[in-house]
Formats: sequence, structure tokens, C-alpha cells
Amino acid sequence: MLYGEFVRTFGSVLFAVSLFLVWGLLTLIGVIVDQGQDPSVYFQSYAAPIARAILRLSFDNIYHSPWYVGIVGLILLSLAVCTFKRVIPARLPPLRPVTIDKIPLHETFETHGEAADVRRRIAELLAGRGWRIRERVFGGAEWSFADKHDWARRGVLVAHAGFVIVAAGTTLYWARGFAGEFPLLTGQTTQIARTDAIVRLKRFDYTIAPIMTKSGMVYQPVDYVSHVVVSGKDGVPKAMTVRVNHPIDIDGTLYYQASYGFGVRFNVTHDGKRDARLSNRTLLEGDSFDLPGTNRTVQYDRFVPTVDKSGMPSADPRVNDPAVALGASEGGNSIGEALVPMRTWIDLGDGWRVTPAQYLLYSGFQYRYDPGVPLVGIGAFVLLAGLVISFYFLPARLYVRVEPVAPGRSRVGAAATTVKGYDVFGSEFGRLAATLRREFGGETS
Amino acid sequence: MPLDELLIAIALAAYTLGALALIFYFFTRRTWLRDVGAPLAITGCVAQFAQLAARFEMTHVWPLLNLYGSLSLFSAMSVAIYIVFAFRYRLWFAGGLVLALAAIFLAYGVTWYEGTMPPVPSLQSYWAKIHVPIVVSSYAAFLVAFAFSCIYLLKYYGERRAGGAVARWLAALPSLPQLDVIVYRAVAIGLPLITVGIITGAMWAKEAWGAYWQWDPKETAALFSWIIYLAYMHLHTRHAWRGLRTSWVSVIGFVSIIFCYLGVNIWISGLHSYKV
Repeated sequence: MLYGEFVRTFGSVLFAVSLFLVWGLLTLIGVIVDQGQDPSVYFQSYAAPIARAILRLSFDNIYHSPWYVGIVGLILLSLAVCTFKRVIPARLPPLRPVTIDKIPLHETFETHGEAADVRRRIAELLAGRGWRIRERVFGGAEWSFADKHDWARRGVLVAHAGFVIVAAGTTLYWARGFAGEFPLLTGQTTQIARTDAIVRLKRFDYTIAPIMTKSGMVYQPVDYVSHVVVSGKDGVPKAMTVRVNHPIDIDGTLYYQASYGFGVRFNVTHDGKRDARLSNRTLLEGDSFDLPGTNRTVQYDRFVPTVDKSGMPSADPRVNDPAVALGASEGGNSIGEALVPMRTWIDLGDGWRVTPAQYLLYSGFQYRYDPGVPLVGIGAFVLLAGLVISFYFLPARLYVRVEPVAPGRSRVGAAATTVKGYDVFGSEFGRLAATLRREFGGETS
Repeated sequence: MPLDELLIAIALAAYTLGALALIFYFFTRRTWLRDVGAPLAITGCVAQFAQLAARFEMTHVWPLLNLYGSLSLFSAMSVAIYIVFAFRYRLWFAGGLVLALAAIFLAYGVTWYEGTMPPVPSLQSYWAKIHVPIVVSSYAAFLVAFAFSCIYLLKYYGERRAGGAVARWLAALPSLPQLDVIVYRAVAIGLPLITVGIITGAMWAKEAWGAYWQWDPKETAALFSWIIYLAYMHLHTRHAWRGLRTSWVSVIGFVSIIFCYLGVNIWISGLHSYKV
């Protein structure tokens, strides 16, 4: 009984649509609410009760929340039950006599000719138009049944199968795939722990085109390219270039051009003496260091390629007159921010001075190994094929009854039904009926 | 005036005049208005495709990489799909709404025109020539579905409230089941197209960003729209839900498309925030 209830519920189209609506709603929440932000961001953006609700309900990472994964799981379950209980058994009705004029799509007319001859000619005409003809006798009356696109009722099954294959491919990535990212300063070498590949950045180039548009000057990035030397499992170094849209493949893992930025080496002094430990590092944007003997932290916020005449950051991303945006905090509380031109110093108190001494381009890479890609591709193709079959090939059945009304005179009755109701076949049936009347000189019965 | 701007002006004028003619035809059923409106629709559509081709020829930059270009294709494809429907199913009466929407979107697109710019690195891909036209065409099919859903709802509610001349005028429109089938046919064009669009977008994303799905707002908004139209198609299999309810779902679906197309591009930052 419980099983029956389960099958009835999960096999219901309205239940599936309800799941779609919940899925859609959760997806929409993910579009509107910024994902993966720090909790403080939500408290800044929303009233406290809403921010708390966002965090407690995992709406800040909704696509990996139990709600989202759960609803997709329920949809897959509903899809499986629908497939086995509704889609596979669905077929056109069995071959049996019908009352022609009780079917909404019907046509009746009288024509010259013996019934057998008219029946044969109609069958030829329909067969020539792709209909599969079968003839049966019921209670002495001869019936012709014509089916078209009966195979297409499996379109929904194909679409559902595609959806399941896509889900399987996605699951394969979760189970066996991996991804990561790493920045490389010019000249730097790194080894990727997951793949053992070694990557060295020889040079990073970028091209930015200044373009005068109708609303002013725009600095359009045109090209980002990393020149790298890589060695994979064979240990042979190879020179390669990585561009956006043109990843490189090392032993099945793809490496992508993701970002770029400027590393900065700071000259840090205390009472005029250079602190070698702090001064020998190259910091990337977002990196910070603590000043020894104080509670103070200095953060390299971002590189400003060009400052304008008033000393403010310019929109020009090309390096002309660079500066560095620094932030300072004491015990975790911000105590100030400053824009420090390259090779000029800023006093941080207690005898500490920091000078941005040298900048160096770095390139940001992503890498990803995804064994599910072929499955997702196949699933997407199957899903699409299923949709096309479902929408563009309509399984339809014609019931044709030809009976004699007088010597040399017959009455033709034809009716049509489809797996998607009558309205969707109305115009095609109208054309078919018109053809029958034209070919057989039909007169209104 | 450069050729491409001239062609846009012609298209805009043709759509505006065509919309007026076909709106009056919708209300009065005077055939000369249809005979004026239909050629204007075709003229505007041809001018728009010519404009896109001319722009590509003049700049050698694929013209669909900004809102100006993609909105131009959106309105052109909307009118093209509508024209095919109008010829096949004799639906010129609905042209006023489609042309008016096309003119509005085209005019809005023109406000984003900033001149010629080279594409940013992530848009320099052959996928731009596959993914963008397919997605925009799906939006166009949904616009046509939306227009006929509106007419369905107008007729449905009108028949229940109006009497006299209005009732007679409503009776001259195609029947509710016929309108429902037209909406279904338009959605049946849009849904496979948006499915292909999402698939090709995922393939492009895999090539550009390393993952075929990153839960970017544009991706998820497209997924949301896809879910709505999937719900539409499932509901349409139920006789009791066909017609009024599915027409409302089609209207909601188009609102979600506009949010996905314009709202996400303009108001929400993400990987698709190219804007101009």
C-alpha cells in the first residue's frame, strides 16, 4: 500500500511540476543572493533577520545545500518512476472500432466507387504519406488503422534518459574529479600536488586597447597570454602558451588562463634598518604581513597601474604611474588605508616604514580534471534528441471506415487521435481531410 | 550616416509603423491594414539582418557580443519567427504586439551602442558564433509564445466579461484551443533552442573557465527559465492544465527570460557581465 502510494505520488506529473517549481525557486534564490560570500557581507547587504536566515538555511551556498541536492534527487526519483510507470507503458489505444463522429477530429463524406476499391486507394494515399496501415475486421465491418510516428512516443523516455546521464556525469566529477588554482609570478616554478605536473611561468603578456566610445574612453582587454614551460608524467619540459579559451592539456588535466595581477616586493625598515625577512618576499594582492613587536598588520590590497594628476586611481589599467593600495589594521581593526606610489615610503609608526620597491606580473591559472565530461556531453545530446523527438514527431492514429451506401457508392469516415490530445493535430488533420475529399471527390455526407 | 545605422533606423521605423498598422488591424480587421503591416514587418526584419551583416563586414567583429548587437538579433529573430508563424497559420492579427515589442527592444538596444570595440578575451571564441545566436533565437521564440499567451488571456477573460461588439470581436480571433496550440508550437521551438543554448554555453564555459557549470547568475537564471518552460511542457500533457494555466506559465516564463537576458546582464555582476 505504501509502495502504491509512493508510485502514485512520484509518478504524478503535477508532483513533478511541483518539484520543478521548488527547484526553480531555489535556483532563483541563488541568482539573487550572492553566493559564497563572507557572513559579514550578508549582514551588510540585508536586514539582520534576513541575513541570519540566509546563513542558517545555507542560501549563501545554495547549490551545494541539502535543499538543493535533495530536490534534484527527488526530481531524479520522480523522473525514474514517471519513466517506468507512465512513459514506457504509454501507447496509442489498441486497434478497435470507434464511433467516428464522436471523436473531435473527424470527417465523413460520400464518394463514387466500390468500398473495397476506395479503401485500397485511401490506404495507398496514406502509405505514400508515411502512415503505416493495418486492416482489421470487427463484427464483419472492415476498418483501416493508420499510425504515424508511433516510435516518437519514446521521445520522453529518451529525454529522461539524457537527464539521468547528465546527472551521472556530474556525479562522476564529484566522485573522482578535482580542481584548483594557483598564481605564478614571472620566472616562478610550481609543482601541482594532485597531478605532479611542473609548471614554470616564463612570461605573461596582456594587451589592453584604449578605445574612444560614445560615452568616453574605455580600456578594453584584448589578450591575456601566459608563456609557460610544463612537464608532465614523461618528465619532458615543453614550451606552451595558455590563453583564455585555449587551455592546455597535461596528462588529461586541463590548465586554464584565469587571471593576472601584480606581485609587489616591499622594502620594510625599522628605525632605518632593513628587515630582510619581510623585504625578501613578493606579496600578491590580498597578502599581508605583521610588523614585529606591534599588533599591526599591513595588507597589500591591490595594485593601481596608473594614478592621475590628483593622486587618485585612474581607469587606465596600463602601467604608467603605478601605486599600491595598502591597508593597515591593529588587533584586527582597520586603522587606515593609503595609496602609496611605487618607490615612495609610508610611515607606519614605531619606526616602521614600508616602501613598495618593485612590481612583478603574475598569472593566475586554474586546473581541472573532470572524468564526467564525456558522459555529460552524451547526456546533453540524448536529452536534446529526446526533446526534438517529443516536440516535432507527434504519434497519431487515423481510424478509417469505408462502407458501401449504394452500388458504386461508398461513405468514408475518418477520425484521428494523438497522444497529445486533438487540438495540436487539428490543422494537420484538416489538411489531410481536405486532401481525401479532393482526391475522392468527396460530397458532404 | 553609416550603412549599419541607416539600416537600424529603417528597421525601427518599419517596426513602429508596422506595429501601428497591425494593432489597428487587430481591432478593426480591415485587410488593407494587414497588407500594409505585413510588408513593413518583413522590411524591418530584412533590414535588421542586413544591418548585422553590414556591421560584421565593416568592423570584422562578431556583432552579437554586446547588448546592442544581441538585442538587435533578438528583435530580428522575434519578427522572423512571427512571420513564419503568420504565413503558416495565418496569424497576422497578432503582429502588432510582436512588432511593438521588437521595436521597444531594438530601441533599447540602440541606447547601448558605444561604437566598435574588440571583444574581451573570454569572448574571442568560435563558440560566440554558435552559442549566442542559438540562445537569442530561443528568447525570440519565447517572445512569440508570450505574445500569443497574452492574446489567449485577453480572449479568455474578455469572453467572460464582455458583451456586444467586444464579444463579437473576440469571437473573430482564433479559438482558445487554437491559440493554446500556437503558444505550444512557439515554446516547442524555444525549449530545444534554449536547451542547445545552455549546452553550448556549458561547452564554451568548459573551454574558457575550466568548468562547464559554475553557478554563475546568468547560468542559473537560464536554468530557472528552462525549468519554467519544462514545467510548461509537462503541464501541457495534462488536459486540465492546457490553455489558461499554461498560458500564465508562458507569461511567467517570458518574464524570467527577460530577467535572465537583461536583468542579470545589467544588475547582477558575474562572468557574463559584459554589458556593452
